[in-house]
Formats: sequence, structure tokens, C-alpha cells
Amino acid sequence: MNHAIISCLHANLPAVEAVLNDIDKQGIDTITCLGDLVGYGPQPNEVVELIRKRGIATCQGCWDEDIIDGLNACECSYPSQLAERRGHLAHQWTDDQLTDENKSFLASLPTSLRRDRLLFVHGSPNSQHEYLLPDMDAFAALERVETAGADILFCGHTHQPYVRELRDGSIRVRLQNAEHGNDQGEELTLPMRKIVNAGSVGEPRHGSTNATYVIHNDATDEVEIKEVAYDVGRTCQAIVEAGLPKVFAWRLSHGFEFAEQAEDASHVCER
Amino acid sequence: MQSHQGKCGYLRLDGYSSDGLEQVSDSGIDKSFLKDQFPELINLSDSHHVSRSQQGDLLTLIELPQFQAPQHAGLTGIDSRVKNQLETLQLHPDRHLHFGRDPELPNKDTLEFKKLESFSLSLNTSVWDPPSLNTFWFELVNGAYGDVYRAKGLMNLPDGRSIFFNWVVSQESSQFLPLQEISDPNGRPRSLSELVVQGKHLDCLRIQSTIDLCLLNDAVLEMHQMPLRDRQKEAIPST
Repeated sequence: MNHAIISCLHANLPAVEAVLNDIDKQGIDTITCLGDLVGYGPQPNEVVELIRKRGIATCQGCWDEDIIDGLNACECSYPSQLAERRGHLAHQWTDDQLTDENKSFLASLPTSLRRDRLLFVHGSPNSQHEYLLPDMDAFAALERVETAGADILFCGHTHQPYVRELRDGSIRVRLQNAEHGNDQGEELTLPMRKIVNAGSVGEPRHGSTNATYVIHNDATDEVEIKEVAYDVGRTCQAIVEAGLPKVFAWRLSHGFEFAEQAEDASHVCER
Repeated sequence: MQSHQGKCGYLRLDGYSSDGLEQVSDSGIDKSFLKDQFPELINLSDSHHVSRSQQGDLLTLIELPQFQAPQHAGLTGIDSRVKNQLETLQLHPDRHLHFGRDPELPNKDTLEFKKLESFSLSLNTSVWDPPSLNTFWFELVNGAYGDVYRAKGLMNLPDGRSIFFNWVVSQESSQFLPLQEISDPNGRPRSLSELVVQGKHLDCLRIQSTIDLCLLNDAVLEMHQMPLRDRQKEAIPST
């Protein structure tokens, strides 16, 4: 059966509506959302309410977490002072706009969702703030999937959709036993694992302005990355009318993210 | 200039605004950059150096901001106001060539404008957060703050380096040329720092407000400079 995975909606209502419409047209009933419903974009309440109304299973993203817990740390996740200040401005604006009811909904979201051998997270099983980039070290990538006990890990956060197959994996464990003066080793051969990144609905970063999501067939394990065009101009107009920085609209209309993205695949928030 | 054996000079002549083509006042960016690359450079804008312009081996770069091709070819095409400047400096041109018109000069980077706005900003003593500067420059030259045809600047970095940023709309990418002189990591730099932008529909307020978000305050600058000073101390052998 096909099911759809969406991520990183970022309060971009026209993009969310277009993607859900595309999923509906294909007759897919099961949708999982990997978080970041809000942040940077101009329609945080509308997007949260649409997800709630549709009853879409959702895990919490880093923006959803920060709106609830406050920007109490994680300056390390900003790649520049400019990005940090723009991020703080967007955070404050979003915090002011969101209703208490919608904040409660974001606070209630789990950090991960599991269906059998499938695991759904925002960033990585370790943290909503960690980036699993497509070219990260294979051992580290395999470790994230294996320790989470999943065959397929669905994530977002990077805004770049990709499918990465981790074949021929093995982990060698070696215990040095001083008492007996010998080494005990064991090698675990792992079956293929897969990381599927759903990209971003509301803030794409793959070279075009199209929203992305993925469809997974749980019988065949086939994954399809889907691109959906939407009315970017409508979102840009809403950004300007909301009083958010005009540069957010310019960046979005050119296929760039609202602010910037950290490039360090090994980044883990220490808080 | 790099291959010239003798002395080198630099002279900046004033350009003139006309019919919606706004000149920017001399920022000193080019002079500062050339002076850094050629410390012996003679500044011919300084009147007491004029007599040196008569020296036979002096190679002089004369900069004249001009938006449109002259109406006449040859010496008669020189604007009378420019002629007056040259006469004051006792300079008597024997030829007058124009980019985009005379085949002796390259046609590349020759643009003609019907309307041009200018924006300049002194950034003296300012120090940029390097990745923020990277983002700002990218946004600037790609049109986030209006249609930019020309942008250049001298930007200070926290490690004491100063970089010459240079962009022309006809080129594929920007030039980033580090200056040779590096400031001590001890407080704010004293070298010239300036940004000049020319284009259309420039949103100067947003340029300024974005720059404000990119510049380091004293505390952050000190965080950058302290380890540099420590390293300098370690590099000095104890007696």
C-alpha cells in the first residue's frame, strides 16, 4: 500500500494545500508528517489547523520544539549571525501569531513515530536538530538507522529530498579482555537499510521552487520523490503583508531557503 | 601595472551625474586597493605630486566614471569639464579611447545605462561576520535589494584581513581579492572600508538594515581576536 510522507511545511499554506491535493488525487489515505509545521512562513495557524483537521500523524520538528520550549540554546545550529538574527525575528513573529490551542498541539507531538520497521523523525533519531545529509559518512548514517532499530528511516530537516541505500553494512565489535589477555571480536553483518528524506513542502532547497514529498510502497519498498508546483507568488505576497522580512519572499521565489541552512552533517544540538 | 618596471601612479577624475544617471562620490576603494597592492603608488590626485606625472617612466591609471559613450571620436569627445580637470593637473592627452567603441580596448564589461541610482556606505571600523557577509553579498548581487549592475567594497574580517569585493553585472561571478596588509587583532581596524552599489530600484534601507545584522559587536569581535592574540604570543620565542 502506498503512503505519503511530508516534511518541513514552514507555515506555507499554498504549498501545503497543493501537496495534499496531489496526494488526494492519487487516492492515498495514509500521510505522515515529519514536523516543522511552522517557522519563517506567513500562515502558521492555518497550516497547523489544516494538519489537525486532516488528522495527519505528525512528529515534532525543531521549529515546533523551539516555539514551545523557547530559543533557549542551539546557537550552533545557525550558520551565520545573519541567519541567527533572521531566525530569531521569525521565531518571535511566529510565537506572537500562534494561538494557545495550536501551541498546545505542537507541544503534544512526539519526537518520533514508528510503524513496524519504519521510523519517522524530523532530523535524526538522536535529535530534531541533527542533519542527515545525503553525503554524510556511511558508517554514521548506518549507525543512526541501526541503533533506532529501523529498516527504513524517514527524515526531513535538510530540505533536500533523497533516498540513500546502505548496503553491505557491518559493524565489528572488539572487546579487550585484560584479565584473560585475549581479544574477543564479533562482526555483525547488517541487512540493507534505507534513509529517505522527504525534502520540504514549504521551503524547498533542491534547485527549484516546487514543493517535495515522497510516496513509499510498504509492500515493495519502492520510494518515489514527488515535486509539486504551487502558487509561490501567493506565499510571497502573504510574507510581505504579514510584515515578515521581504528578503524571505525573495529567497523563496528564487528557490532558496528563507534564511540559511547549516551544511555540517555531523551537527548535533548539545542541549 | 604589475609588469611595469618604473613607478606607478593613480588619478581619479570626477564623473558627472546627468539625466537620471547618478554618480557616486569617490569612495577611495580603488585607491586603497591599489595602494595596498603597490605600496609605492603615487597618488596624482594630490596636487603636489602632479609634477611627478611628467616623469617619463611613470605609468598612471586614470579612472573616470562615465555612463555613456562620448558623442565624438578622438580628443574632441572628451567632456569639457574633464578637460578642465586634466589641464589643472597639467595633463595633456594625445589620444582618447572609449571602451565599447574603440577596437583597441576590450568590449567586455561595457554597459550603457539610461537610469542609474547609486548608494554608498562608509563601513570604517566595521567588521563583518564572514558567513553573513557571504550571504549578504550573494543576495545583493542577485537582486534581493533591487537590480544591481555594479557593486564593490572593501570589507573587514575579524581575523584582520580586508577583502576587495568586486561585481559587474556582465561578469559571471564576483572577484574577492584579499589585501596584503593585515590589521592587528586588537580592536577595530583603521583601514578604509566602504560599500558602493549602482543599479535600479535599489532598496537602500533594506541594504542598510541587512548590513546591520551582519556586523560584529565589540564583544563578539573580541571573542574572535583573543585567540589570535594568544597565537601571536605563542609564536614569539621567549628569551
